[in-house]
Amino acid sequence: MTATPLTRRASGAAARPAAPAPRRPRTPGTHPARTILVTGILVVVALYFLVPVYWVVVAASKTSSDLFATPGLLFSGHVALWDNITRVFGYGEGIFGRWLLNSVLYAGVGAIIATYVAAAGGYALAKYSFRGRDTIYAAILGGVLVPGTATALPLFLLFSSIGLSNTYWAVLLPSLVSPFGLFLCQVYARTTIDDGLIEAARLDGAGELRIFHTVGLRILTPALVTVFLFQLVGIWNNYFLPLVMLSDEKLYPVTLGLQNWNSQITRLPEFYELTTAGVLLSIIPLAIAMVVLQRFWRGGLTEGSIK
Amino acid sequence: MVGLTRRQLLGYGVAGLSAALLAGCASPALTRPGAATLKPAARAGERVTLTYWTWLKDMQQVANMWNRDNPDIRVNVVPIPQGNSGGYQKMYAALAAGGGPDLAHVELRTIPEFLLAGGLTNLSDYGADTLSSRYDPTLWGQVSYLDGVYGIPQDSGPMALYYHRPLFDRVGADAPTTWDQWADIAVELRKAKAWIDCFSLSDAGPFAAFATQAGARWFTRGAGGWEINLLDEATLEVARFFDSALDRDLLITGYGAFSPPWSAAAAKDQIASLTSASWADSILADVHGGAGKWRVAPMQRWANRGFGSSALGGSTVAVLAHSEHPHEALRFATWLTSSREGIDAEIASGIGWSPTPDYIGAARTQPVPFFDGQNYNEEIMRPAAADQNPDWEWWPLTFQSYNILADEFRKKAGGQSLVDGLRNAENQIIMAMKNKGLTITKAAR
Amino acid sequence: MSTHTHTVTPAPAARAASRRRGNPQRSTQAAPWLLIGPFLALFILTFALPILMAIVSSFQRVERRGLFGEEGVSTVFAGFNNYAQALGDANFITSIGRMILFGIVQVPVMIALCTLLALLLESASARWPGVFRAAFFLPYGIPGVIATILWSFLYTPGLSPLIDAAKIVGIEVDPLGSGMVLWSIANIVTWTYTGYNMLIVIAQLKSIPGDIYEAAKLDGAGPVRIARSIQLPLIRPALMLTTVFSIIGTLQLFAEPQVLATSSTAIDSGYTPNLAAYTNAFAYNNYNVAAAQAVLIALIAFALSFTFLRLSNRGSK
Repeated sequence: MTATPLTRRASGAAARPAAPAPRRPRTPGTHPARTILVTGILVVVALYFLVPVYWVVVAASKTSSDLFATPGLLFSGHVALWDNITRVFGYGEGIFGRWLLNSVLYAGVGAIIATYVAAAGGYALAKYSFRGRDTIYAAILGGVLVPGTATALPLFLLFSSIGLSNTYWAVLLPSLVSPFGLFLCQVYARTTIDDGLIEAARLDGAGELRIFHTVGLRILTPALVTVFLFQLVGIWNNYFLPLVMLSDEKLYPVTLGLQNWNSQITRLPEFYELTTAGVLLSIIPLAIAMVVLQRFWRGGLTEGSIK
Repeated sequence: MVGLTRRQLLGYGVAGLSAALLAGCASPALTRPGAATLKPAARAGERVTLTYWTWLKDMQQVANMWNRDNPDIRVNVVPIPQGNSGGYQKMYAALAAGGGPDLAHVELRTIPEFLLAGGLTNLSDYGADTLSSRYDPTLWGQVSYLDGVYGIPQDSGPMALYYHRPLFDRVGADAPTTWDQWADIAVELRKAKAWIDCFSLSDAGPFAAFATQAGARWFTRGAGGWEINLLDEATLEVARFFDSALDRDLLITGYGAFSPPWSAAAAKDQIASLTSASWADSILADVHGGAGKWRVAPMQRWANRGFGSSALGGSTVAVLAHSEHPHEALRFATWLTSSREGIDAEIASGIGWSPTPDYIGAARTQPVPFFDGQNYNEEIMRPAAADQNPDWEWWPLTFQSYNILADEFRKKAGGQSLVDGLRNAENQIIMAMKNKGLTITKAAR
Repeated sequence: MSTHTHTVTPAPAARAASRRRGNPQRSTQAAPWLLIGPFLALFILTFALPILMAIVSSFQRVERRGLFGEEGVSTVFAGFNNYAQALGDANFITSIGRMILFGIVQVPVMIALCTLLALLLESASARWPGVFRAAFFLPYGIPGVIATILWSFLYTPGLSPLIDAAKIVGIEVDPLGSGMVLWSIANIVTWTYTGYNMLIVIAQLKSIPGDIYEAAKLDGAGPVRIARSIQLPLIRPALMLTTVFSIIGTLQLFAEPQVLATSSTAIDSGYTPNLAAYTNAFAYNNYNVAAAQAVLIALIAFALSFTFLRLSNRGSK
């Protein structure tokens, strides 16, 4: 989880060999009965995925007492959504806004740098032969399989001893490493960057680093998008690492902050409103991002699997 | 050759760095309790900023009252999650990293745990002994260890019975005075589709409080180490009582008091009573539609033994080990917990019962509308706070022991009695204490 | 791919060129290290060193003298004592067993569901596939903690419309009870990750060459037949690998049970192996035993992944 934001259900499929192929043409309207059946199933499944989200919208628009007293899937007469949202942003000197910004910072900066670092590493492993290359590659592949949570505890002890725990770095530094991203970039670079192209650039007198930045990065772009999105979602969803590392509320990402509120519900029922409205607000940005970005995601994965 | 040299360098670098790190931090929290050197008070005119971690709400407002009158000692409040749901984990982590706040919210039962981790400053070194007369002697006993004082009592949780008058009326019951009467009412309530209370399988705290009321003493500090006794007569009586109540399906076991399902059930008038601490009143007051229905009565007693009440919860303001300003921290803690101004302000932040017998807080001398104008603080809580088991002692592994107990209590669903659970738990707690490197023996029974 | 249209420069020319440029050996030898250096440094700092430290500290223990260690505290070599403690702890073993049970049930259900959805969405019979794909994928954007907070409300009797609805039909459910809570967690995990896994399967489905379908159609194969004998075998590698990563994910379960523990009494502080290690380290201050547990979790994850990768390789040959 922590430093392998390929995340828990990450795919290895991206690196699978498969031939690029034209899309299978759709033959529309084969059997009307079948279309109704299939679409019916899809609607039912869509309800499963969407009803909880709808419930949050409803719950976030209720006061604590209405939450327990009115039917869960119906809006109550008194819609307090705006009040609740104002309270979420007003609570604790606007700490919620800070958490959102922190999440954006961790995920945005972390994913950009992680992608760059993974691209450089993957490119180096794919395009140069040097002593120790195989050892390094094997070690990093091992890193893909080590559960991130297993390293989080010792990482905390390490960071404590060098004074990094409870700082932005404590969450950022481990987020910059994506063994899976490097693996993907390595496969992609090996299969798509032509050696001749590199030689040609050398002939033109370009330095090795320059070649990577001008030729390598450009060709790697589709893989970079995939790695970036993986890392972005991975860091955004991260909970364990910040939980272990951070004690200052001002450094929290939104996941940790909301759970902090949620854990106070049993003592202070006013947190029901704050938590439900906070959940709603924190769902919105990534939900929109997911819907918009899913096509890039798929594109990256498919092309990443070209061998 | 360049590559090889580089690799060697890298190797040496990694080896050296790791050796240094491993030596430095293989095991944190290794400070020996009481080993700290004394720190000087701030010089006149020097400005000191203290950090205070607490989960009481709006405590910065309380601290601001202090800051206004004491411009040289500024207190910054940082809100943290409650105790074992995340607050202590943060404190331990910060202590392990050599930092942490000056002042922290530490429950009475957790003081020994922090002592074991070397996390507390001995306030005797800074003159705390002279303060003992201000505080309830039972509470003062629970912050005094090893000839030192390791926290300033902040609140306590004397217990009482909260009951839902209309539901009790429906079964023709008055507030019970003994646990046996309480069980009889529970039977009637079940027939009326209501529950008398929860028995939380995931929190051993209430059970420990009931045993304390019956006169139990689970741990004793002996010359040769700790002595444990989870199977004294008092505890066994309590365990047998709840074994019988649970066997008759008289209590909710699926959730504990104050959890979301509890709030929902209480809002539907399905919870008829609650045996809990004085601080439960404010949570109860948030139950939807509960106004005017609830009353408070003295806690029901065990027939032939024990005390009139018990305590659930109770906190201290502790000065953590790495504070640079214990003198100033102690001054603030004393003001907060024993001045009239501090206590009144803290009551607004939701503290439990005042730790100073002399002053219970202005707000608590008044009748309370939610409880239909009952003046229960004066009438019931004040006597309850004075009728406590003074021999009860906390030990260095309370949280782990409570979890061990809860694990055994959960087996009640599978048919294991609470009595057998206690027996198993005692053995496991002994193991856990030994694994911590502590000496412990079973009491002679 | 555009890269293939570039002409390949003859190798002798390149060699000649680099000879002209002074110190060619040095520059090409330093370059890979410069490129991989940042990654390597970070990898060592955040993976290698912590793992090394965990291993070392798992062989140490703390000794105390006095009631609270006031007469002396020291760290001594413990041999396999911590491992014996971890493995002798019935709750830790139970939690591992619980996760294996969870994996055996939840992973196949999720993989089957995501495969079915992918096949339906890619079939000609589905209307508005883009809308449905977005709807199924949306939960992946909701962090596990927040998804769990959300579902925990939907699991709370008195708050949940789902439980009320079940009651009307005459079913009494208690999603937070000791019998069901594991499957309530499984539901959250399935809800969050099915759409994501579905997208991977769709990516693999789209890479199946169209002429294979044409050939099948000429043979008169219907959609079910095509799914069974063409699509399923061809997406098998993707399925095996999503399975492996789901298994690693299962062993790492932490946020879901930790958050649900607020509402359910059935979840103890060592409900999953990870939660046990966290509690040991941060609530009990048993860093050494926690380190041993972390090492054990990593070893089990390794063993399981290798077993499955082995199986998957054998199967696809």
